[in-house]
Order: sequence, then C-alpha cells, then structure tokens
Amino acid sequence: MVIKDQETAEPIESVLADEARVGLREGDALPESLWKVRWRLGWVGLKKNWKLFVENKIGLFGLGLILLFALMALAYPVFRAWGPWQNSSIYDPVIGYDAVVAELEVMPTEADVIDPSTQIDVGNAQLWCFGAFPGDICEIPRAPAPPNNDHWLGTDPLGRDIASQLTYSTRAAFFLGAVAAIVTVVVATTVGSMAAFYGGWLDNFLMRLADLVLLMPLIPILIVVSGMFTVTMPLLGIMIGILSGFGGTAIVLKSQALSVKVKPFIDAARVSGGSNMHLILKHVIPNVLPLSFLYMMFTVTEAVSLEATLSFFGLIEAPMTWGIMLSTAQTQGYLRSGLEFWWLLIPAGLAVSLLAAGFFFAGRAMDEVINPRLRAQ
Amino acid sequence: MTDTRLDTAEGNLDSPVPSGERPILEVNDLVMNYEMKTGMVSAVEGVSFKLPKGKSLGLVGESGCGKTSVALTLMQLLANNARILGGEIKLDGENLLDLGDEEMRKRRWNEVSMVFQGAMNSWNPVYTVGEQIRETMDVHWNPKPTTAEARAKIEELFEMVGINPEMIDRYPHEFSGGMKQRAVIAMALACDPKLIIADEPTTALDVIVQEQILEELRKIQNELGMSIIYISHDIAVIAEITNIIGVMYAGKIVELGPTTEIFANPRHPYAWLILSSTPSITGPRRVLAPLEGEPPNLLDPPSGCRFHPRCPFATQKCVDEEPPLADIEPGHAVACWHHEQVPVTLATVEA
Amino acid sequence: MLKFIAKRLVQMAFLFFLFLSLVFFLLQAQPGDITSQFINPEIPAAVRAQILARLGLDGSIWSQWWTYVTNFFTGNLGVSFSQFPKPVIAVVGERIPRTLFLFTFATLLSYVMGFTLGKRVAWKRGGFSEYTVTIGGVFLYTVFYPWFGILMILFFASYLGWFPISGFLTPEFWRNAPFTGNQVFGQLLLSLGIAAAVLVAGLLVARRVPERSTARLIRRGGYVLSVLVLAGFWILRPEMRPYAFDIVHHTILPVVTLALVAFAGTMLLTRSSMLETLKEDYILTARAKGVPEKDIRDRHAARNALLPVVTSFILGLAFIIGGGVVTETIFGWPGMGALLLNATIIEDVPVATGALAFIGILALLAHLLVDILYNVLDPRVRVQAGN
Repeated sequence: MVIKDQETAEPIESVLADEARVGLREGDALPESLWKVRWRLGWVGLKKNWKLFVENKIGLFGLGLILLFALMALAYPVFRAWGPWQNSSIYDPVIGYDAVVAELEVMPTEADVIDPSTQIDVGNAQLWCFGAFPGDICEIPRAPAPPNNDHWLGTDPLGRDIASQLTYSTRAAFFLGAVAAIVTVVVATTVGSMAAFYGGWLDNFLMRLADLVLLMPLIPILIVVSGMFTVTMPLLGIMIGILSGFGGTAIVLKSQALSVKVKPFIDAARVSGGSNMHLILKHVIPNVLPLSFLYMMFTVTEAVSLEATLSFFGLIEAPMTWGIMLSTAQTQGYLRSGLEFWWLLIPAGLAVSLLAAGFFFAGRAMDEVINPRLRAQ
Repeated sequence: MTDTRLDTAEGNLDSPVPSGERPILEVNDLVMNYEMKTGMVSAVEGVSFKLPKGKSLGLVGESGCGKTSVALTLMQLLANNARILGGEIKLDGENLLDLGDEEMRKRRWNEVSMVFQGAMNSWNPVYTVGEQIRETMDVHWNPKPTTAEARAKIEELFEMVGINPEMIDRYPHEFSGGMKQRAVIAMALACDPKLIIADEPTTALDVIVQEQILEELRKIQNELGMSIIYISHDIAVIAEITNIIGVMYAGKIVELGPTTEIFANPRHPYAWLILSSTPSITGPRRVLAPLEGEPPNLLDPPSGCRFHPRCPFATQKCVDEEPPLADIEPGHAVACWHHEQVPVTLATVEA
Repeated sequence: MLKFIAKRLVQMAFLFFLFLSLVFFLLQAQPGDITSQFINPEIPAAVRAQILARLGLDGSIWSQWWTYVTNFFTGNLGVSFSQFPKPVIAVVGERIPRTLFLFTFATLLSYVMGFTLGKRVAWKRGGFSEYTVTIGGVFLYTVFYPWFGILMILFFASYLGWFPISGFLTPEFWRNAPFTGNQVFGQLLLSLGIAAAVLVAGLLVARRVPERSTARLIRRGGYVLSVLVLAGFWILRPEMRPYAFDIVHHTILPVVTLALVAFAGTMLLTRSSMLETLKEDYILTARAKGVPEKDIRDRHAARNALLPVVTSFILGLAFIIGGGVVTETIFGWPGMGALLLNATIIEDVPVATGALAFIGILALLAHLLVDILYNVLDPRVRVQAGN
C-alpha cells in the first residue's frame, strides 16, 4: 500500500499536559488537584482554538449552516406542539393527507391544448366531478400542490406537507450523523491506539483490514447489505460508523497514536508502572481525541450523503428522510418534467447537500486549527 | 592590531577595496519592510556596502537581524508582503531595482546565483541533479545548450567541486549532505555569474564537511576570480573566507570594514561583544562573555541606536539620536556614538 | 519493477480473498435460511437432503465457504435467479466493459480537471476566485449525488436537449441495425485501447530519449498518432460509425456528471498539496534560478504536489466507484452498478454478490495501477522498491 502515514499534528493536549507537569514539579506541594489542572488547561486550549476557528470564514459559514439545520430540526416538534401545525394530522410527515382543492374549468377532450394548471379535459374531470360538462368548474383535489398558505413548501404526490417532512427528516439526519460519528470515533480510536501500542501481528492484521475497508467502495457494499437485511437508521449509522472508523480514520489515528507513544511522558508513565491499557486510556486517547473529532465531522458528511442515497433507492427502513422524499417524487414520475414540480426536487436535495457541506466546511476549518501546517500565514 | 584572536585564514585576506575600480556590487541605502497585519516590520534599514570584483564580503549577525532579508532583497525573491521602500542595488553599474520582473528573472542565476542554506531542501526530489543544473542552462544560455554540451559543462563543474561526474544522473536523495552542497555550488557556477550569494552555506553540515565546502568556495573565489557574498551567523566561518565584513544588527549594518581590521579592532559594541563571545584556539585562554538580552522586536524597533537596550556603553544620546555609519579610518566604518570607548581587548567575565 | 508488481499482486490476491470471505459470511448472516427460502418445504426429507447435497449445502459452513471461494476462482459464480439459467459470470461479464468505460473516462477527466484547476487556484492565492472555487468545489464534493444527476439530466437533456435523457443507446435507431450494441461497443473499446497504447508507447519512448527537444517531439508525435489511429479506425468502418456515435452520445452526460463530482475532491486536495509544496525550499531555489513562473508552477510545484494526489486516488477510487453505481442507475446506463442495484432490489442474490465481488476486483486492480504510477512518479520510492 502506498498510503503514507499522514504527517501528524503536534498533539495539543500533550503539550499542555507537559506544561502541567512542569508546573507541578516546580511547585512545592500540589497546588490543585490534577483533574482541575487538566480541566483548566483544556479550557484555555479550547478558547485559543476557538479564536483560530473563528478567523476562518469558511468554518463559520459551515457552523452557521449546521446551526440553521439544528433550528430546523427543532422547528418540527415546536410547530407541531405550539406553532402553526398544532393539532392537525395533515402535517404528519408520513400519514398526513391534505389534498388542496383546485377549481379547474372543464374543457372538451378534443381541445388542442389543455393547460393542466387551469383547465381539465372532460375525461379526467369525470373522475372527480360526476357529470361534468365543458364550461363547468370542477373541484378536484390536487397533489402535489404548489406552495401555498397552508403548505409553505407545497405537498408531495401523496398530499403530505413538504415543510413538515423536511423538518422532521432533519432530526433523523442529525441522529444518523451522531450515531455514525460516535461509532467512528470509538472504533477508530480503539483500533488506532491498539495497533500503535501493541504492534506486531495485531497491528498488521488491523492495518490490512483497514486497507481493505479503505479500498472497498461503501455504496455498493451498503446496497447489497441493505438488500439482504432490514436496515433501520440506527443500524445504518452503526454500519457507516464501523466502516469509516475502520478505514482511513483508523490509519490516521494510528500514526497520531504512534507519535504520542514516543513522547517522554509516556516513558515516564511506563516507568512508574503504567500498563499498556492504562497508557492508552489515560494518555493516548486524550491526545488523539482532537483528531478524532475532526474525522467525526467528515463522517457526518459521509453518513448524511450515504443515507440519502440509500433511501433514494428505497433501501432504508425509516418513516421519512430527505432521500425518501426524493424517492417518492422520483418513483411517481414527477422529476422527469423539468422544474415544474420544483418543490418536490429542490428542498430535499438542497437540504442533503447543505447539511453535508456544513459539516465538511466546519471540519476543514477544524483541520486548520489542529494542523498548523495548513494555516495561511 | 597584531594579536589576531581568531583563526583567520591566511592568503586571501589581502587589502580590501582598491580605489578607482568600479565595484561589482554597490548597495546604497536599501530599505525593505514586511507588511504585517499588526504593522510594518523594518527588516532592512538603510543598508549600504560595496563589493569589489573578485572579493568576498560577509554579513554576520544574530538570526533575525536581517542578513537573509538582505540576500533575498538583492535577488528580489521576497515574500508577497515584503516592500522594498528605497535604495539602489547596482550590479556592475546596473540598478537591479529599476528592472521589470521579466528582466530581473533573466538576471537571476545568470548574473547573481545563490547557494542556499540547507542544500538538502534546495533540490527538487523528483528530478536528477543533472537535470536541475541543466535547467539553469536551458533558461539562461543563448542559444540553449545541446545535451552533449550541457553534460560536458556539468561534468566539468562536478570535477571542479569534487563530485564524481557519474553522479550526474542520480537523484538528490542519493547524494550525501556535503555532496548536495557541492552540487549546489556547481549549479551556482553553471551560468558564469558575476556574483554568488552564499546564505549560510555550511550551517546544516558537520564540521569536517563544512571545512571542505569552505575550501571549495575559497578555491572558486581565488581561481575563478568570483565575487561572493557570504551570509552567516557563524563568525568563525565568515572570518575564514571573507575579505570584508559587515556586522548587522536589527536590520542595519553597524560596522563595515576589512575582515582583518574588524577582528583585530572591533569598534562597535555589538561587534566587540560577539567577538568576545567566540572562543579562540590559538589566542590566550579566557572566559567568554555572553551577549545578554534579546534581539529587538522589529515591529517596533528601539529609538535612536537600535542596540542601545543591550549596550553596556549606552547613554541618553543613544536613545535619542541614531548614529550614522561613518568612517573612522579609510575603509572601516562604524555606527556608534561611543566607538572610542570600546576597549581594545575583548571582554571577559571575571572567573 | 516486475518483482514489485508481483509482490503487489500477491497482496491484492490476499486482500481479495479476505473480501470474498466477507461477502460469503454476509450471505450466511442474512436472515432466513436460503434452503427454506428456495426449496419447497413439502418435499420429503430424503429428497430434500439429496437436493442440498447436489447444491453443496450439506457440509459445514467452512466447507461451504471453501467451495464458494474455490468456485469463484474457477469462474463459477452460480446461476442468476432472475435470468435463469444464465450463469452469473456471463451476466457480469457483459456489464464489465461498460462500467470500465464510464469509470475510466470519468476518472481521467476528473483528475485532469481537478489537478489543473487545483494548481491554478493555489498558485494565485487569495481573492475572490479562491473563495468561489473552494466553495464551489466543496459544494460539488458534498452535493447529494443522485439529486445532482437528476438536475444535470433536467438541464442538459430535458431543457437544452443536447444529450439523450438516459440509456446506453437509442432503441428506435438500432431496430434495423446490422450490429448488436455489444459488437459496436467492443469495437469502440478496441479503437480506444489501440489509441491509448500508441499514446503510452510514445510517452515511454520519449522517456528514454535524452535530448529534451527530441523527446518532446516524440511525445507530441505520440499524441497526434494516437488521434490519427483513432480516426483511421473509424474511417475504415463507415457503416458502423453512426451507431458508435450514438453510443458515445449517450456516454457524455454520465461521464461528465460523474467527473464533476469526483473532480472536486481532487481539486481541493491538489490545492492544499500545492500550498504545502510552494513552501518548500526548492521552489525558492527555482525562483532564484530565474526559471519562468509557469515552469515553476508546472515543473516544480505541481509535479511534487501530484504525489499526494496520486496517493489519495485510493480514497477517490472508492468514491468514484460508489458514484459510478449511482450514475449508472440515474442515467439508466446498463453497467455493473445498475446490475448490482437491480439485483439487490429483486433479490437476485448470486448476481448481487457476484457484481459486488467484481467491483472489489476493479477497485483492487485500479489500486495496483496507482501503485505502479506512484512508483514511476517518485524516484525515492523507486529506489526503495528496487532494493
């Protein structure tokens, strides 16, 4: 494999921890307990990093996007409980049904051009208005309906409110992203530090496995898996987390853990009788965590896109997601006719893209904070 | 002036600045600042010197004193935030600062070449050393050399600097540190420049290799009559190979004169202190006096004489007024109000 | 070099073996017993045992695993459920060239575009263009891909009408065609293969020529010759030409869409890699040498910035193959990805796993190619491999 171990950033916390130690050695007695020092240093580091992060406009833009989506996720329960969608089952994203009634003029079937938004031919009119004749006004339920006062973003082909689907799905996307990110961090940190610390065949085995995961395209694997099993959102989150945690993230975290392994404070801890497990838990993990958080951001990006793709193909068991919204529009044939039904196409697609972009932007900005090499002078 | 306290090389320290002849390089009142978010950093402030043809001049000073900035200004290879605010750089009578970008590009290497600090990194890892030397010829020779001509020239250069000509098709990573630096010197000669600027040419090398490289450079100066500017923080290196020394402090030349003269009789307190902090093998045993304090922040340089906060002889005048670089005897100039007070013997610390 | 390739091949074979085993155990882990699903439960136990024995399902899971793996390596991937009794290898074999075609062109296009734009953006640091390109790049990188594909179709096919909306060829046009689609496509691949071979041969010969101007001449001659060969090939087949054109016309939009999405990653990476490289000392040396700016950018900075970009190809590979599956589905391009998805939806398990395994092989082979390329590009690695 030609994957070069990525050059690793100076572990921020290790420097701080070193400072703390120096401070302690010089003091006569312990001035404050160790966890207090740690906490204080962590806070100082956080403030410093926040300052660096804020300097990056792109990062702030990403953070803004994430916050916007967080508000959207909040909007659904709030609106359903107290707001404009209160007590009305028509705003249920899955089983709500509201056929907006359109009044259309009935035209003879032979008419040359029948404008579907204002007129209707006799054949179709008779389905809804029994005994309709040309010239009559016929009231027919319309779905998908364009945006209107009741439905800010219109309704989908099944008469369900797009705005409520959109906000409801935001929560699902965040949930999925969180599950995937947490699993990634846990898996990658464990695999990375074990490989770095125990070395030998375990290292070899884990890294070969990481190569394999890295090489294998996720989408085809997940497609096949979701065809064989019933894949729910939490399960998908766990799968994405494991796969992305085992691949590139584990390799990067391993090289970071290796760079921590050679630090003097590790030797000091080892001399004072710390076991490998103790070293990993107390020293390595706190030091690789910042980098793990970075990869967490990228995992969220990946998870959001993957989930949308899989549910677009109808392979995920979930009540409603952005992918399912698009899938509904697609399978009902509303996406082939240009932008006429734009409210079926644009909101959901844009939501997936922007949320993924938000996490990616924030991740890149964090990358610049953690890897000083990338910073512009 | 008889007790030379440092091991200066014999032979090449003949009399400096012969009068009447046009110097190969003349720098007048060069001012260069870096523009930072927080203000202007005064990196080069009114630097002037002359280098006669076939001689060598050393710029010496602590790191951050502006030596390298002078070199990069001469080549106009500065970062985007650097501003050349004034002065003249006359190479063989032509002011380089008047030239456009394209004209200047044609002068680089063809008329002034450079030997950089850390030869390891001056080579592009993906091309052979031969290819990279040839590139300079392709860029500057007119007409471009044929492959045979280029090879012949490179082989000749390799032999001159003591590299096996068979190494021509090897990649930089196959060269040792010293060999890379020799190859850089060979490359510096590829277009027969008028002047070579050697920026810390031996810093990253071990002592024995250092000596060999200096020997090569000395040979080039003596045999080819090349004019060379050396830049180093290592006063011993400068002492060995230069004819003229400029001592720099905080972006300014504070003392300029013949090497022998300055080593024998440093007149600026800073020069006196750095010489005092350098051990000698042949001179009398003495305890070295350290130079105390930190170099100044060039964003906000001290008023008057920039050295006054660290100077043992400083008075109120030094705080208020800036001393000019004035001749105290022909060819030896000092920028200090109190140069007479500087002792003739080097400073020591009471043991 | 040969030794290096052999070593890599062994590694790849091992990785593939691992992958195949994973696929097998995935099959085993799926809920429900494959025997109860496909064998009539009312069959008497004795007959049932007989059937199981014939299908090789009577042994332990390990012996079944061994049978699966050995069968795979002898090209026996089972029989498709949905196109019974067509063997999976035939179903997959028909699709491989099409996917390879889409994949190769999209990859080349995305790398060329991404690298060129990335190095320019990094070279002209700061300002409006950098922000636009970065934000645009990230948007393309994170865009919801099926959605983007639909938008591309809506705009370029439905609205502008420049390209067909979907498919591999126009059925009406081919009704009375004297050739089958696969025949024409085969010829298309053949001609492109020959042209590529000429091009590569030219580059290889040029590398061995010491005189730089001659080398350049040979290189350019190679480009021209490969175009001429391609043109000549199709001049000699006038009756097949319109059909070939129809196929090419269908490929443009999917290739461009896939390339656009994949290009963003390359561009962003090239940009940061370039910015790193520009800080190197040898760039300062090159400027001191009076090398023209364009040569510094292309010969010195970009050449070195290329190395991590090539390495990242491995990551990009998984991305582009995944994207390929989506592309094929959205554009109705009958390749491996579409096969995989359809087989999954109609539960044709042998085909789905067969397609997955072949996508794995594709990924591994492309990876091998990148490894070799990296070897050629970085002299430092070359020496290590030689030792």
